[in-house]
Amino acid sequence: MSFRRHRRDAQREAARLDEPVREAGALAKKLGLDPYPVNYWVVNYDEMNQLIAYGGFQERYPHWRWGMTYDRQRKTDQFGMGKAFEIVNNDDPANAFLQESNSLADQKAVITHVEAHSDFFKNNQWFGLFSDEGQFAAAAMLERHAQTIERYVENPEISRDDVEKFIDAVLCLEDTIDQHRTIREAAADEDGRIPGDIRAQLDSLDISDDVRREVFDEAWLEGVEEAEREAAKLTDPRKDVLAYVREHGMRYDEETGKAEEMEPWQKDVLDMLREEAYYFAAQKMTKVMNEGWAAYWESLMMGDERFAGTDEFITYADHQSRVLGSPGLNPYKLGKELWEYIENSTNRAEVADKLLRVKGVTWRNFHETVDFDEVQTLLRADPAIDGVSADSLDELSELGPDEPRVDHETLDRALSGDESLDLEAYPWKLLTYEGLAERHYSLVKAQNRGFLSRIRRSELEQLSRYMFDDEVYDSVEEAVADVDKTAGWDRMREIRESHNDVTFLDAFLSEEFVRANHYFAYEYSQSSRQFRVSSSEYRDVKKKLLFQFTNFGKPTIAVYDGNFDNRGELLLGHQYNGVILDMKQAKGVLERVYHLWGRPVNLMTITKEFDEHEVEVARRRGREPTPEERAIRVRYDGESFDEHDLDPELEARIAAGEVDYDTKPDDWL
Amino acid sequence: MGLRDDLERFREVGEERREDLKEFISYGDLGASGSKDIKIPIKVVDLPEFKYDRLDMGGVGQGKGGTPDVGQPLGQPQPGDGEGEDGEPGEEGAEHEYYEMDPEQFAEALDEELGLELEPKGKEVIEEVEGDFTDITRSGPHSTLDFERLFKEGLKRKLAMDFDEEFVREAMKVDGTSAREVFRWCREQNILVSMAWIEDEWSRIPDDERGTWASFEEMEENVERTTAIQRIRREGLREIPFRREDERYRHPEVIEKKQSNVVVVNIRDVSGSMRETKRELVERTFTPLDWYLTGKYDHAEFVYIAHDAEAWEVERDEFFGIRSGGGTRISSAYELAKEVLDERYPWREWNRYVFAAGDSENSSNDTKERVVPLMQEIDANLHAYVETQPGGTAINATHAEEVERSLGEQGNVVVAYVSEPDDVIDAIYTILSTEATAE
Repeated sequence: MSFRRHRRDAQREAARLDEPVREAGALAKKLGLDPYPVNYWVVNYDEMNQLIAYGGFQERYPHWRWGMTYDRQRKTDQFGMGKAFEIVNNDDPANAFLQESNSLADQKAVITHVEAHSDFFKNNQWFGLFSDEGQFAAAAMLERHAQTIERYVENPEISRDDVEKFIDAVLCLEDTIDQHRTIREAAADEDGRIPGDIRAQLDSLDISDDVRREVFDEAWLEGVEEAEREAAKLTDPRKDVLAYVREHGMRYDEETGKAEEMEPWQKDVLDMLREEAYYFAAQKMTKVMNEGWAAYWESLMMGDERFAGTDEFITYADHQSRVLGSPGLNPYKLGKELWEYIENSTNRAEVADKLLRVKGVTWRNFHETVDFDEVQTLLRADPAIDGVSADSLDELSELGPDEPRVDHETLDRALSGDESLDLEAYPWKLLTYEGLAERHYSLVKAQNRGFLSRIRRSELEQLSRYMFDDEVYDSVEEAVADVDKTAGWDRMREIRESHNDVTFLDAFLSEEFVRANHYFAYEYSQSSRQFRVSSSEYRDVKKKLLFQFTNFGKPTIAVYDGNFDNRGELLLGHQYNGVILDMKQAKGVLERVYHLWGRPVNLMTITKEFDEHEVEVARRRGREPTPEERAIRVRYDGESFDEHDLDPELEARIAAGEVDYDTKPDDWL
Repeated sequence: MGLRDDLERFREVGEERREDLKEFISYGDLGASGSKDIKIPIKVVDLPEFKYDRLDMGGVGQGKGGTPDVGQPLGQPQPGDGEGEDGEPGEEGAEHEYYEMDPEQFAEALDEELGLELEPKGKEVIEEVEGDFTDITRSGPHSTLDFERLFKEGLKRKLAMDFDEEFVREAMKVDGTSAREVFRWCREQNILVSMAWIEDEWSRIPDDERGTWASFEEMEENVERTTAIQRIRREGLREIPFRREDERYRHPEVIEKKQSNVVVVNIRDVSGSMRETKRELVERTFTPLDWYLTGKYDHAEFVYIAHDAEAWEVERDEFFGIRSGGGTRISSAYELAKEVLDERYPWREWNRYVFAAGDSENSSNDTKERVVPLMQEIDANLHAYVETQPGGTAINATHAEEVERSLGEQGNVVVAYVSEPDDVIDAIYTILSTEATAE
């Protein structure tokens, strides 16, 4: 297929998508979303593969890992198995890429999905940590980085392999940052200055020997150095390891055999990659929320609001079931279900709040007094709102000029014969946010029947504890008429602003949810050498799940000392939480951190050791052996590793507090 | 610069340069156990990072149709569990992708690769199938295009057209040869190359390299040929040659469908002498076999039997994980297999395969007195015994030999030996080719 042909196809496809793009944006805003403007690009499959390889951008710095992703993506494509539907990047304006060969139903689904992502990017505070700092222009930033690093690579003074190795070393630390702060706050974290070589400074000052003897004598020098060394001991560990090595790192010079200042290009590369790490951190921290959010709104727009034409609906349903149906713990599914749970429980609390204010209804007699079927019927949407269509203009007019659920401007235009509205396809244009909230009210949907009646007494008791006006309504009808149907969506938007995956799961993963979805925790059994189910208790599952999301699912490593042992060595510490490190990987990282520090590097951690005899005994008796925890310091000096017992004082600084992620029951096997 | 360049550099990592990353390279492998997907070979380099010990961290899973009991073994940890998964490249973007291959394609690819022609035979059960998109025509609405078939035909064509380019290029360096002669030689070697390609390439051979080899024979001795799977492993399937003539469109029709059924009995020795490495070899051999047969037949069922001195039937999930302390009596497994087959899978309706694996250690005289007669009694398309004996043969490990000696001539009995992962493909070939030739 020739290039020109491609362009023509792409243009035709782009024209076909003009309308869906415009209308999806309008619908998203009506539903209360507030996305960045999105630029849509239609690309062919190879361009798509390239974009995926580059993490959603058109230009990245030269590095083999993009080649790896590209290779994999192409192979997936060649086998006809993989299909990339969409890729959208976090930028203002955001950019979304659609593959030209997708069906129209797929494209529409992608567009609705993208609008919700874009809303999330713009409004979630964790994204704000990066985007609210100065001028936010991600694509431009990454392009600038690409060009700068390309120049270093092409510079004949600098070896390309050196640049590549340096990038590798930095990438090994890309997740050891302080992702809960802005990049500036993390860098400014004050610490004592590393003792510079004060003698060298004095030398450079050209002071006479007399003055030196008189004023800056040995005793004085030692005193200053001692004080500076003390100050260099970090009182608080520094989580942003990248920032620390940026400030104090050096490079080992093969020729002089000494640690020397980093080259300017090295500092520059470090700065750029650190900036990228902070840029991408928010996405890693909100995967479940963000994907769930997009899946929720996509489903609402495509399914409930029939943004997919009736004929496309089957294709869409198929698309969605494939995305949500992929195996394992799927973030799309988990996220979407949690959002739905939040919507339902907020709406339920709102209904209960109104019902508890009916004369004669209390939290004690709630379940006996309230006729839930009646409430369900009363909650149903007004037929004029629910059945809104191009033919229902008169019914809407009859609701009067002050009706808040009707978009009066659109209605006037429709009544005066404006056909450009295309209300056949987009009846929602006649409604406001309130109107749409009623039309899609969650508690009356078939799949949520019974949710209302399952409200627990404890929740009702809580609701009524501080309720003063508890006799406002004479009847259930009156109370239900007062229910605010936007409560669920309002609450969802608040949550999408302030939470990340950890807090989201912590707050909203309910026992009801864990049970209904058959989640369980598993652990490795040393005696049977297998993973086994360790618990299906709500608390255990939640604990394990939170563990997987905390700190990107990775161990927390921080800088504890930049002048360890008074020899300028770096001391990293693994903040132990009961789960040990993968030591092979950790040693691989240390080898590379050495490139950034230029002097020996140390890692303190805690390991678990099993006594072979005890394992054998445990195996025979069908028990689990108890490991012995040992605190160690692993040191790498540029050539080899050695291992030392850890100083008890340091051990106390990294040892586990109350956290314990082990879910093994006592009586297990 | 740009992606092509990144790709080039990636290919070189750990090979031509960057020895330091060698230990962080892994290759995707055939047959992910317990999963429905086959992984396509692919090179992965994961930069080291601070991460948790995989065993110590445990995880969260989701039960299908119910919450499993505490203490139940999981087999392999489920891939893609939350964020704990191995750093998926490109996870920074928000892309959705799928990666899977179905057993039928796997079976076809293996057929092509190994040159097998195993056709499911005999024993078909006839059933009425309601109007489905089963019949095919050469034209039709686009939505009914049978893409799977198009792909498979393309893959076949690809494999048929694929040849070892390097090898042919080397042949052009034989002293005094000509393009025509190379072409003739290629025909003799069954290398499917066109005259046009040779002529094209001929002009590109540097003059100083001509005459590198004195004769074709010398070249063949010194240059190693690569197999199609090696090339695919190295380069991926560059492109699938889709052809319009392979396009078929499905349209519905009510037909009488013949269904071929297969039952595979997998038997594994779980006694004390079967250590971890041996266990793994069994899994590596059995999984592709199961896959292959699943792909070949319309309907496949599996029976898993574990045994030490006793035998018992288990689920697949547990099958590869069980360990026991007891001694070994292989006949116990065949007794159970016979019982299960007679009861549930009558020979007139089912194609039967009985695959057993172990380290060939058996209690004395059990093989001769009990197992051999049982193997003769159990009607099956194929009986196979896979001996896994990493690190050589132990003195009392004679089961495989005895079986081979007594039944090797029978045509439907085969013995294969696997002592390291590289032997697996050979073993699979030995086993499946026995079935293909046996009538």
